[in-house]
Amino acid sequence: MTAATVTKFPEKSPYQPDTAEGILRAYDAFVADIDDQPKWLLDLRKSSLKEFKRRGIPTPRIEGWKFTNLLPLVKTYGDKVGQIKVSHDKVDDVVITPLMQMLDQDWVKAALSEDMPPLQHNTENTLWHLGNIYMRDGIVIDVPANKEISKPLELLTSAADGAFFTDRMVIRVQKNARLTIVEDHWSKGAFWKNRLTHIVLEPGARLTHIRMQDDSDKSVYTQTTNVHVGRDAVYDAVAYCAGAALSRNQIRVTLDDTGAECHLNGANLLRGEQLGDTTILVEHRAPHCQSYQNIRTVLDGRAHGVFQGKVHVHQPAQKTDGYQLSRALLLSEGAEMDTKPELEIYADDVKCSHGATTGQLDQEPLFYMQSRGIDQKAAKALLIQAFIAEVFDKVQDEGLKTSLERKVEAWLKL
Amino acid sequence: MLQIKNLHASIDGKEILKGLTLDIPDGQVHAIMGPNGSGKSTLSYVIAGREGYEVTGGQILLDGKDIMEMAPEERAAAGLFLAFQYPVEIPGVAMTMFLKTAINGIRKQRGEAEIDALDFLKLMKKKQAELGMSDEMMKRAVNVGFSGGEKKRNEVLQMAMLEPRMAVLDETDSGLDIDALKVVADGVNKLRSDKRSFLVITHYQRLLDYIKPDVVHVMAAGKIVKTGGPELAHELEKTGYAEYVGDAA
Repeated sequence: MTAATVTKFPEKSPYQPDTAEGILRAYDAFVADIDDQPKWLLDLRKSSLKEFKRRGIPTPRIEGWKFTNLLPLVKTYGDKVGQIKVSHDKVDDVVITPLMQMLDQDWVKAALSEDMPPLQHNTENTLWHLGNIYMRDGIVIDVPANKEISKPLELLTSAADGAFFTDRMVIRVQKNARLTIVEDHWSKGAFWKNRLTHIVLEPGARLTHIRMQDDSDKSVYTQTTNVHVGRDAVYDAVAYCAGAALSRNQIRVTLDDTGAECHLNGANLLRGEQLGDTTILVEHRAPHCQSYQNIRTVLDGRAHGVFQGKVHVHQPAQKTDGYQLSRALLLSEGAEMDTKPELEIYADDVKCSHGATTGQLDQEPLFYMQSRGIDQKAAKALLIQAFIAEVFDKVQDEGLKTSLERKVEAWLKL
Repeated sequence: MLQIKNLHASIDGKEILKGLTLDIPDGQVHAIMGPNGSGKSTLSYVIAGREGYEVTGGQILLDGKDIMEMAPEERAAAGLFLAFQYPVEIPGVAMTMFLKTAINGIRKQRGEAEIDALDFLKLMKKKQAELGMSDEMMKRAVNVGFSGGEKKRNEVLQMAMLEPRMAVLDETDSGLDIDALKVVADGVNKLRSDKRSFLVITHYQRLLDYIKPDVVHVMAAGKIVKTGGPELAHELEKTGYAEYVGDAA
């Protein structure tokens, strides 16, 4: 070794504070426009502003972003903050109210004030801070105790061309209540949408949370969801992600009390130059909790898939049942999949398994189907549908299951 | 119906078929018997158009038409069917969906309208009943959780529904007990007609007690080395293949 040897990343902070400037150009005008905000909210903005200015937009120098290069796609945004619109039907017994009208509710304040811990080693959640800085749009959804809402609550989120958008969903399902939420995203144009979601499930509650993200392939979609699952409560999520030039789905679930359970199912279908990133942290904090992660990714063209998933079993979480599987299917030579499955276990009586596979379509079934008269494209489509199908298995509402399957069929026909 | 002329084929640079010639007229059942490694399965795959085999010479004609440049699905539409020695499991693809897609795939290539959903169900029920296959089996994924016998019955079911002109049965008897063998053979015999021909590839004479061939060929080292009537199969059962293996070496 000679003295001329230079390490690629010297031992300084991996963050690049100068990247914060662009997106903060709109801040002064944005805040001046907001009337009557409580002091705690202004303080929250300022504290997040301080954190964000120290770190900026994440880049691949940061551990938790090493596969996903966000900056080049978002650095032009920041001149204005667009207004995000969420349209929905009225659902009996469910409170659905614009966020800014709910700031006097203690539980909403508590949810908004909660810090979002790192999902990955050494990776401060700067997108969460960015959402706090520009907090204004969003809705609060509250289901009273013991109400079992059978009709799914559908939320259509629209963003317009050319701007940065951020909003906040705060969701509470009270004791023994049930709700299904369907988020639909299919906006046209180029934009950056950054959504933060806070979910509290009280004891015995159950939330089925379906996300269908089909935004334009010129857009950027980043979303961070923070879920607290109480005693014997169940968080059941199914994500379908086929849109955006770059999407980053960050989910943290904490199983806070005995018997809590979560299912995180995801189907990512990407082609062209798309990148789809799923980053998950499941924290088992109490005994007898169960968590399942089942992510399927199909990549064509030069698409790039990322899965980073971690199950963290804290010391009190005996009898944990944790399962994590990422499977990816590469349909072309140019596609790429990066996976980082992790287990961190501090309890001694647990059952945890994890795995990640990346492969191609099997030739045997393809030939078998072709020999029966099914053309190659249709045979591939059947195999891909079969590959994805398992992540929709748990969807109980037949109508929703069908619409998810139809989305996959439509994607395959493109 | 099916004519194979001086067929040469190799895999990974190794020649397996070395000038094979075969002529199966309309309505006839021909059997090919031969020792392991003689190229029987390769022949069936080359006829069906599987990738990975390099055909270095010769021709395969179906109804006088050269099929060598056709994709497997085009060969199916032209009336060819291969019953696999090892039917493939396809997790996640339901039997009914598979059968319907296959029928419509063939119809589409022939420029015909899709099958009516009710007609399809009636046809399937009828054929599955003939083969003793339960409704429950039809709800499963293709060949997943099927026993060896059920898989072979499933091959015959597909054949019955697709109604090929020319069916190649690759070691359809392997892994079958005598009862399953009878069911499968009955299924095949029901499909025999003067418009449909069969090529039955087998190691043992046993299957030919149930599916009576018109002509028996012996294959060794990539070609047909002897052709005769049904009595040839019985002869082989007694003498074995030693004589032919010796010839080839």
